Amino acid sequence: MNAARWEQIQVLFHEVADLPDPAQRASLEAQCAEDPALMTEVLSLLEEDARGDSLLDRDAAHVAAEVLDEGIPPALLDQTFGPYRLKEALGQGGMGVVYLAEREDLGSVAAIKILRDAWLSPDRRERFASEQRTLAQLNHPAIARLYDADTLPDGTPWFVMEYVEGVPLTEFCEHHASSIPERLRLFRAVCEAVEHAHRHLIVHRDLKPSNILVKPDGSVKLLDFGIAKQLESLEGPVDRTRTGLRLMTPAYAAPEQILGDPVGIHTDIYTLGVVLYELLTGRLPFDLSNRTPGEAETAIIEQGPERPSGAAKEKSISRRAWADLDVLCLTAMHIEPQRRYRTVEALIRDIDHYLAGEPLEARPDTFGYRLGKYVRRNWRPVSAATASFIVVIGLVVFYTVRLATTRNAAVAEAARTQRIQHFMLNLFQGGEEAVGPADSLRVVTLVDRGVRDAQSLDGEPAVQAELYETLGSIYQKLGKLDRADSLLRAALDQRRSLFGSDDAEVAKSLVALGRLRVDQADYKEAERLIREGLAISERHRPPGDPAIASATLALGQVLEESGKYDEGIKVLEEAVRLRGMAPAQPTTELAASMRELANTHFYAGHLAVADSLDRLVLALTRKLNGERHPLVAEDLINLGAVQHEWGHYQEAERYYRQALDITQAFYGPSHYKTAAGLTVLGRALIFQKRYDDAMPLFHRALAIRERVFGKVHPQVASTLNEMGGIALAREKFGEAEALASRVLAIYRTVYSGKHNLIGTALANLASVYMAQHQYARAEPVLREAIGVFTETQGAAHLNTGIARIKLGRTLLRQRRYAEAARETLAGYQILTKQTDPGVSWLVAARKDLVAAYDSLGQAEKAAQFRAELADTAGKAANAAKRN
Amino acid sequence: MTLRSIRTEHGLEGSELGALLGDRSALDHLFSVTYEELRRLASSVRRSDPNASLSPTTLVNEAWLKLRNSPRLAGVPRLHFKRIAARAMRQVLIEAARRRKAQKRGGEALTIVTFEDAPDPTPTGADQLLGLDAALQELARLQPRQALVVESRFFGGFDVAESAELLGVSEATVLRDWRAAKAWLARELRRAS
Repeated sequence: MNAARWEQIQVLFHEVADLPDPAQRASLEAQCAEDPALMTEVLSLLEEDARGDSLLDRDAAHVAAEVLDEGIPPALLDQTFGPYRLKEALGQGGMGVVYLAEREDLGSVAAIKILRDAWLSPDRRERFASEQRTLAQLNHPAIARLYDADTLPDGTPWFVMEYVEGVPLTEFCEHHASSIPERLRLFRAVCEAVEHAHRHLIVHRDLKPSNILVKPDGSVKLLDFGIAKQLESLEGPVDRTRTGLRLMTPAYAAPEQILGDPVGIHTDIYTLGVVLYELLTGRLPFDLSNRTPGEAETAIIEQGPERPSGAAKEKSISRRAWADLDVLCLTAMHIEPQRRYRTVEALIRDIDHYLAGEPLEARPDTFGYRLGKYVRRNWRPVSAATASFIVVIGLVVFYTVRLATTRNAAVAEAARTQRIQHFMLNLFQGGEEAVGPADSLRVVTLVDRGVRDAQSLDGEPAVQAELYETLGSIYQKLGKLDRADSLLRAALDQRRSLFGSDDAEVAKSLVALGRLRVDQADYKEAERLIREGLAISERHRPPGDPAIASATLALGQVLEESGKYDEGIKVLEEAVRLRGMAPAQPTTELAASMRELANTHFYAGHLAVADSLDRLVLALTRKLNGERHPLVAEDLINLGAVQHEWGHYQEAERYYRQALDITQAFYGPSHYKTAAGLTVLGRALIFQKRYDDAMPLFHRALAIRERVFGKVHPQVASTLNEMGGIALAREKFGEAEALASRVLAIYRTVYSGKHNLIGTALANLASVYMAQHQYARAEPVLREAIGVFTETQGAAHLNTGIARIKLGRTLLRQRRYAEAARETLAGYQILTKQTDPGVSWLVAARKDLVAAYDSLGQAEKAAQFRAELADTAGKAANAAKRN
Repeated sequence: MTLRSIRTEHGLEGSELGALLGDRSALDHLFSVTYEELRRLASSVRRSDPNASLSPTTLVNEAWLKLRNSPRLAGVPRLHFKRIAARAMRQVLIEAARRRKAQKRGGEALTIVTFEDAPDPTPTGADQLLGLDAALQELARLQPRQALVVESRFFGGFDVAESAELLGVSEATVLRDWRAAKAWLARELRRAS
């Protein structure tokens, strides 16, 4: 059929379609007299038109129901998921299906979530992986735990998590006819779980009763982090593109999710408010069932809900108590995010206040309210008084209450700042290098604000000092050493003037300042400060006190950094002993001290000791933090480094791969930590000359680092440098030259003055020229490199020596023998003092010296180096035989 | 999921759509949403959920509400968005039908099927859907506008007025197109089965 014929058919079809039967027939026969086929066509269409029972007459929904099947696909029943096998379907969301699974060896049960139809889109796969990462990060009794994760052979991802047998929060409360305080206590437990997630910068975004189960023993579990989002910073909102609304349940959506505004912890606070509303009133704040999406939106973003007190059926509590609950709930659910509770913790505090019958913090601070609350708590004396007495009492109470609340506020504030410190420290612990240019800007702004707040705390010098110390340490982790310096010194001065020089708090400040001096590479001063702090702590604190252990660890680290390995080992052994003696159970602090001890042994060249210590630490870390914790990855890398030093590159590779696997699962495939893992693995491959395997790893690492740190950054340069090395080894000179030049350009930009890395980049670029026999081009580059090394690291540094040997080689090849001999000899003399006589650079130097002196006719000198060459070659051969 | 037919088929023109379709992540996003909405729809049908508000119309409207604020889709007129969503619905369903059939075929070469085990001769929903897709492609060759009417109404839940506005024709034309196309497609499906 062609278009013209179809046109002809349908014109006729429409013409006769609505005619009564006989007229239709007559008309068709008249018009199709010469084209019977046309008549057949039109008749068949009319027949279908009359039937009206085709697929198109049904609803697309029914079609969807048929092709999008549910239940356990038979193919899945035959699969094993690690040690698990599926038992039955538990439930399903838009994304994954959750099955009950049994562990075949142990008989224990777990829940397995499988991404249904993984083929559909990368978006879904990424979201699924993100949930898995989120669960891996969270470790809280009220959050379902992640056990295992993998993919099926067909690429379908799955993960195993704790199976929670319980009923949804609201159902539990209804079934048990829980009282309001009971409901609030359950709700409080939910808040704690959410707060734990927030501490890890994770917003849940889909809180609702069906995701909150209560177990028979009354404990709660938070489930389904399917659309949870990792925040980049405490106050930074999630980007607008993924507010998560599309995936969440509209009845629990916050206004900002509907408006497409940034979401953050304030969004979870709103949703907690909705859950609380439902718990208090037995219904949702907005009835969306009979509204169009537009009306629903208006209700949520403009009107706000009815007061819970008005909506509730429960009347067993007083009107006054309801007034507080209204405030609590509606503060959490405020349309404007900035007027909600600032943190879940603040919400928890008000729940506690309510349960204790104390004034809420969220309550507008009115005299009547405070007085009312006070009078209620102390109703006996008040009601016993006469009317005039009440007025007097009222005034006294007013002033007393005001004074008390001010004092309480100060105490609460101090407690709060301490919690903030912990919060912030947790925030940056282990993540300090994470902070690339863009992020650090934001975090630094945050800390700057903290400093301003701290400065205004003049009335509380002790709290202020504490804050200065915390904020100073944060600046230090962010690499803002100057600001860290002034804050840590301010903390020290303040404590000295408050408590005198010989005081435990002063000791803490001394150690903190000492740690900063390590970062500033002022090891002498660092050692002095830490020793002084340690001595004070030992005087004021009992043996085995954590402050002593942590100062001892710090001292060990200084000694390690300054190359005093033997002394460092002694101190760190003491640190391990201190950490090991107090608690009955091994702790993460013990593991940290042992790790540092292992590092020192490693740097001191005691590889076997480092190896066995690392193994202990690994076992300990696995026990303390679980199999897939990033610290496990760190320990595996340490073990790999020992193997690498031993020249067991395949073993090293094995460790590095295990580490990378964990890092990737934990941080995701495009995290800067993953880039670091790729890089060490790539190096192990380079040493096996497996350049084709290594190159893709570096490409991946490069892409990540360019994205995270920007194109001009030392981390990017370091990856480019590895790639340049590979290109050179494969004799791809053009590529190697381009890479080396980019490295150089980056270092010149980043370190605007002189830096030894600029020297390294120059020397590497020269190597590329030399490999192409372009000695005249290499020469000025090497001369500049020597200048940089001499200035930054000293004339006698190894780098200076090697660069001079290389310069000697370029001069030799240009037949400038006298100059060549002078440079090579200078380099040779630097190296012989510091390295093993068999190192390749010394061998090369001797060969070049022989050649230069031969050409210069200085047979005696040539003979001297010939003899040395023969000597080292003989020793090397003997050594090889012994091995 | 294959998105290539979206790029090459008729009916989606205009520079802003071109730009939008060039953006894989916006599309990917849309497909995820569509898929999840369809799942919701399918399971409400299966549970015979009396909540009658679920229909392709609601789904596409909700998808629009949910996605319109994402920056890549901002500025796309609502009807154009809905048209893309209808296409997405179609694609997702067709792909699901294909997968379903492929699963059934899996291992066909190895198993010997007894007569009792032979597949039910009545065509399944998946077969019909694939048949409809093929017939729609044929219709698009004969009369592109009619294919679009079917796609927007059946998969996208457009009402007559919206289809008319989208295609720049009168409502009467939409009704005529729908009726003729429906009859033609029904006949093609019957012939194919």
